[in-house]
Amino acid sequence: MMIPRISFALCWVMLGLVLMFLFTPIVIVVAVSFTESAVFSFPPQGFSLKWYYSIRNADGLLASAWLSAQVAFISTLISLVLGTLCAIAVVRRMVPGGDAIATFMASPLMIPGLVLGIAFLQSARLIGLNDAYATLLIAHIVLTMPFIMRTVLASLSMFDFSMVDAARMLGCSYPRALWRVLVPNILPGVMSGALFAFIASFDNYPISIFLVDVHTKTLPIQLLNQLEMSPDPTVAATSALLIMATIVALIVCDRLVGLKRMTTI
Amino acid sequence: MNVVAREAAHARATPRSDRYLDVAAVTKRFGAATVLKDLDISVARSEFISLLGPSGCGKTTLLRLIAGLMKPDGGRIAIGGNDLTQVPAHKRNIGVVFQNYALFPHLSVEQNVAFGLEAQRTLKAEIGGRVQNALALVRMQAFAERRISALSGGQQQRVAVARALVVKPSLLLLDEPFSALDRKLRETMQIELRHLLRDLEITSIFVTHDQDEALVMSDRIAVMNEGRIEQLGTPDEVYSSPASLHVLEFVGQSTRIGGTASASGQGGDVGIETPIGQIRASMRRNSGPTGKVVVGIRPECIALGERPGADFNEITAELADIVFFGSKTALHFKPPAMEDRIQVEVARLPSGVAPGAALKLHWPIAETMVYPTP
Amino acid sequence: MTTIGMETQVTAPPRRRLLQLDAPAIMVLPGLVFMVVAFAIPVLILVADSFRDASGLSLAGYRKVLGDPYYIGIIWNSLQLGLITTIGSLLIGYPAAFALSRAPARLQVLLFALIFLPLTVSIIVKTFGLAIMMRRDGILNWLLLNLGFIERPMRLVFTEFALYFGMINVFLPLMILPIYSVMRQLDPRLTDAAASLGAGPVTTFLRVTLPLTMPGVVAGISLVFSISVAAYVTPGLLIGDRFMTMSQVMAKAYLNIRDFNLGASMAVVMLVVAVTIVFTSTYFAEPASRRGRKG
Repeated sequence: MMIPRISFALCWVMLGLVLMFLFTPIVIVVAVSFTESAVFSFPPQGFSLKWYYSIRNADGLLASAWLSAQVAFISTLISLVLGTLCAIAVVRRMVPGGDAIATFMASPLMIPGLVLGIAFLQSARLIGLNDAYATLLIAHIVLTMPFIMRTVLASLSMFDFSMVDAARMLGCSYPRALWRVLVPNILPGVMSGALFAFIASFDNYPISIFLVDVHTKTLPIQLLNQLEMSPDPTVAATSALLIMATIVALIVCDRLVGLKRMTTI
Repeated sequence: MNVVAREAAHARATPRSDRYLDVAAVTKRFGAATVLKDLDISVARSEFISLLGPSGCGKTTLLRLIAGLMKPDGGRIAIGGNDLTQVPAHKRNIGVVFQNYALFPHLSVEQNVAFGLEAQRTLKAEIGGRVQNALALVRMQAFAERRISALSGGQQQRVAVARALVVKPSLLLLDEPFSALDRKLRETMQIELRHLLRDLEITSIFVTHDQDEALVMSDRIAVMNEGRIEQLGTPDEVYSSPASLHVLEFVGQSTRIGGTASASGQGGDVGIETPIGQIRASMRRNSGPTGKVVVGIRPECIALGERPGADFNEITAELADIVFFGSKTALHFKPPAMEDRIQVEVARLPSGVAPGAALKLHWPIAETMVYPTP
Repeated sequence: MTTIGMETQVTAPPRRRLLQLDAPAIMVLPGLVFMVVAFAIPVLILVADSFRDASGLSLAGYRKVLGDPYYIGIIWNSLQLGLITTIGSLLIGYPAAFALSRAPARLQVLLFALIFLPLTVSIIVKTFGLAIMMRRDGILNWLLLNLGFIERPMRLVFTEFALYFGMINVFLPLMILPIYSVMRQLDPRLTDAAASLGAGPVTTFLRVTLPLTMPGVVAGISLVFSISVAAYVTPGLLIGDRFMTMSQVMAKAYLNIRDFNLGASMAVVMLVVAVTIVFTSTYFAEPASRRGRKG
């Protein structure tokens, strides 16, 4: 009787330590962003918001954040449209080899980011595509597609397609029936996939590093540059803002969708 | 020629002579499999017709073809003289009640019913009143604001019916709408729906695999098997004069005995040699098959005791089981030479009858059906 | 007349299957075509490029990557990085997942969210935090000093300790979540039943709990291994050039020294490693999940 009780207690201790372990670096970044001194010493000294003000003056941080948000938003949106259409055809067995298509569409997730990045770089060079923005966008659609495919397929598997038939019989054309009936019903599940796709794109480093140029830098690249060039708490302040934005996004999603459904990924 | 003969048969069987819905020579294939082959059926205005058959017989496919949710590989579908074959589903103005109702869970009861009116761009001022009327028709006004998930199965069905009827469809299709309900509720809903549709004089096609349901509700029944309509007739015709062995087997209870028919029976009858002795069947009823045949008898046609006259078949068999149903009692006989049982229904069990007793049974030769062995 | 018309329709040959696809079937095309053009073809071009250099067809890249002990060492470094991260995550994550799966329902949702949240935080941000943690005047040294484990602050950053500490920190949730999702469905009565049959706790764990949670373990291992073996940002920030991996070589080949043939060959080797992991883990996970479905 003693062994199970002790090992059970040890498991709880382990879980507690894991949570501390996982959160320490995140908390530290936030703590450092509020210090007065420019060096990251522990325990932190003083309180100030000056590093948040300095974000505005830091070279390119805001511009790259804006770029990252754009790329993440547009690529998620395009993946959402292309992926949902594709998933409907696969789930309804409208095309032969549907399962293979679904696996293929979700497979970029299994390929190391750097390998994908290099592949995009080579091909862009080959066809003479010099526009960093366009290349980034195309690459990020590929990057976000698996997240969308997975969640949309999962949502569709629980969707009753006779509802689409019902809408058609009531006077909606097929596209309109999808829009009026299918979309509102799968939206909650798809939202979580879209959120993760957005985060994956927004945070991506290994693919983007090969595709950016001097004028078109995404936030992760800019952050890492900044870290290597002038590691001051401005980076911490930016990171802290990112963390807060993530938490806000998660809470909003929780309100809209419910955390339970989000965690099915 | 065949078509002419068939049409003549339709004209006879159809209570009203107009052909409101006309399905002609419709064929549907899925890959290599032909699900429907040259199928014809006509339905009169405000008639209630059932498509009855086992799963996989093509009845749901036929329904979906009529609805326009599938395209036929050949043939023609018309309503009221308008060819609809190339008209997309959303422009056919056909109402459908789906098997699982397919109500929209993201909308309220009211919004579900209003959906079709909105899709057809009905005037806003008109929508509210028509929705209320439709809900009143199915006695669901009190639930207008409810969410679909808050309704019981029976209530969901009523909403589905209201949603299909509110757009004043030219035809109502019902795809096994009772299969999700328990037995008691199912019987109530069947009668209620039948009355409603009769009052509205709406032409309805009802798909079911439940023969009782088809017998209770229909003006006519189309018994389907392997993509063909084996018989189209009133419930009485289909029950008492099954056109094929499959119809006999599928609709109602029956005793079936294999045997060999000889061409000449006495007095214009067919004689069939069976393991339980010779059985005679009237030629007027059967087209005089020879060779391997199956003899079919309905349980209520068989009576206990010696035959009262020469127009009856008589056998002696041992009583194996007594099954009490309340309003009737079923007796199962098991002649040693037969694999299947002989089923007899009597209103009241004669006294002193117990399993193990050897009893005489008789039935009219006019009620003896003979079909070639498939 | 009508009969003739019908017959011609009936006897008409079945329309060509591919073109007869219902209109909605074309819905698959935009996404599929995009992914073929923007994903499949570039990867194939990369593979093709690895067999080519400036002079034409060549295996020089592979000769270098698979023949030179320096590059063999680098491949080994990557595998070691993946292996140690995976084992470390498994040893820490399994008991944590167990505790999580046995937590009361309300608490479980909260704890789950807390494990999950760090996954949504940028890897760069977390690694940055880890680097601050492990400075000479960082919290880790401060903690070790105050607990009396060390007398003087140690140099932690740019050591292998820092590397694995960071890697496990970043990828641990990816181990815990799949194990947890399997454990959650495990009926606690099973272990009670085993105990009531006289099995000791160790036997119960080895014979009941562990085999039943294997699908989650396999999923976690393949996930953590495949991602950590190709990790780039975290090793780059925490140990840098002292610990060269395939990822570092690839990035350098393209971004600095511009030896595309070397980079492409290394990328293909990494691709092979990734594909191998995927196939191995599906091989191990499949029978278990099928058994699960039947049961």
